[in-house]
Amino acid sequence: MTISTGVTRENSPFGRHKMEENDQPSAQDPAADAENLERKHAAMLERLSNRHQSRLSGKTDPNSATSFESTQLFLSQFSQSKLSIGSQLSRIRKQPDPTHKADLEAISLDISALEKLVAENSYFLPPYEVRTCLNTVVHLRQSLDEVTSLVIPKKKFSFKNKPTKKNSTAVAEKDAVLREPEKELNVGSEKLGFRDLSTAPGFRDRKNDVLVKEFSINELEGGQNGEFTLSNLRDCEVRLKGRLRALFMDKLINCKVYVGAVTGSVLIEGAEGCVFVLASHQIRIHNAKNCDFYLRVRSRPIIEDSNGVRFAPYCLSYQGIEKDLAEANLGEETGNWANVDDFRWLRAVQSPNWSVLPECERMGMVDVSNVGISD
Amino acid sequence: MGLLSIIRKIKRKEKEMRILMVGLDNSGKTTIVMKINGEDTSIISPTLGFNIKTISYQKYTLNIWDVGGQKTIRSYWRNYFEQTDGLVWVVDSSDLRRLNDCKYELDNLLKEERLSGASLLIFANKQDIQGSLSPGEIAKVLNLEAMDKSRHWKIVGCSAYTGEGLLEGFDWLVQDIASRIYMLD
Repeated sequence: MTISTGVTRENSPFGRHKMEENDQPSAQDPAADAENLERKHAAMLERLSNRHQSRLSGKTDPNSATSFESTQLFLSQFSQSKLSIGSQLSRIRKQPDPTHKADLEAISLDISALEKLVAENSYFLPPYEVRTCLNTVVHLRQSLDEVTSLVIPKKKFSFKNKPTKKNSTAVAEKDAVLREPEKELNVGSEKLGFRDLSTAPGFRDRKNDVLVKEFSINELEGGQNGEFTLSNLRDCEVRLKGRLRALFMDKLINCKVYVGAVTGSVLIEGAEGCVFVLASHQIRIHNAKNCDFYLRVRSRPIIEDSNGVRFAPYCLSYQGIEKDLAEANLGEETGNWANVDDFRWLRAVQSPNWSVLPECERMGMVDVSNVGISD
Repeated sequence: MGLLSIIRKIKRKEKEMRILMVGLDNSGKTTIVMKINGEDTSIISPTLGFNIKTISYQKYTLNIWDVGGQKTIRSYWRNYFEQTDGLVWVVDSSDLRRLNDCKYELDNLLKEERLSGASLLIFANKQDIQGSLSPGEIAKVLNLEAMDKSRHWKIVGCSAYTGEGLLEGFDWLVQDIASRIYMLD
């Protein structure tokens, strides 16, 4: 019977520390019970004397895996080790010097010991403490890595005959690699290769022109409701009537842009000295300078990296515009034209980058009914 | 290792998954989350900061972190990387001009060590717009085949406007995460 209890003990789901306390004798035999009790008693006495011994012998070694079963004791030891590691790290950080290599290794061991400490006490700690302690360990590791890279700069791997070469060239090379992607930003269509950007519907690279496009309902319902692009226009007047799904605009200078209803979003990137009259579900304005916007928009328009931009309510008319707007869910004025979010000005006070266009400076209703359709 | 298993146990009990939605501005991240959650998608402002949605999906609880994609706030994405189980990268398939931006930001993101274990779902959004690139074309532009072999990833064409493809994408993501984290179930 004692053998069988031994087996249960081996299979106990609890940690080794709690084994005795959770040991349930599986036998019904009173003799075995008594024997069990006696053995337990002996074990307890031994434990007590051990504990007494260790108390007498003074402090326990902090690196040895002891279990306290007290969150407070654990936390105090944890924070003590954490502080000492942190102070060592900051000391080395102040004087990065290859001679600290051995110190760094010692710190790395300390951090591992700390992690082990958390692991060994995790069975009684509240989940929150386990999580925060683990986080601390991760942070310590990170700052150790940082300090290590300060003290011992990483060498770039390469097949070279002379490994003694200084790594200054490697650093320069790395910098070049880091800088390269910047150049590639927004290079446009050439890189796409298999599909030419300029075939997408839109007006591009024009000067001093009046550009008109009417999106008919038939097109919209026949699946022709694509996006439209205005790109690189100077001194142009653009009139887009009807409904479209999405509108992209970039590099517009001194243009007037009148647009009916956009059921999706409008994205403007780079505009100077322009006037926009737009109705849309969403409007994003990037890199605009000295432009006026007359908007009807269902959500809050946003600006980013812009300045001198002014806002006023929508003011466009042509035959059938009410129907276009209503069917695009833009039939009613929402007042959102004045609720501009500036992503470059995340403060409670009014952003200096945009303003409401004073009523006396606003233009009147713009009627674009009487212009022929060209394309 | 003992520690890791404890964390796994805690997570398993709650059957929670943390999902991070990122992508360029105007790609439709918030619209996707709202659509999946059955909310009105007609009034959505560009996200200043982030939104968190907790959604019950199958037998799991998804904590979806939808982080704004404007250029100014992309540098804050890193604050949300910790403990991410699934990464959703949303692409505006109709915005051909900024695809290089999109590739650059995605490449940057995938270098991040804290995201190295996360499953990656790429939504080629706005498929309903005529003239948008197909998921296959997007995969080519983003050079997805060249990705680290240890990464679990999938690209799915979708439209947050019509809802098409959204469930297919999330089904894959949730299954993939579950097979990693909740292996024992």
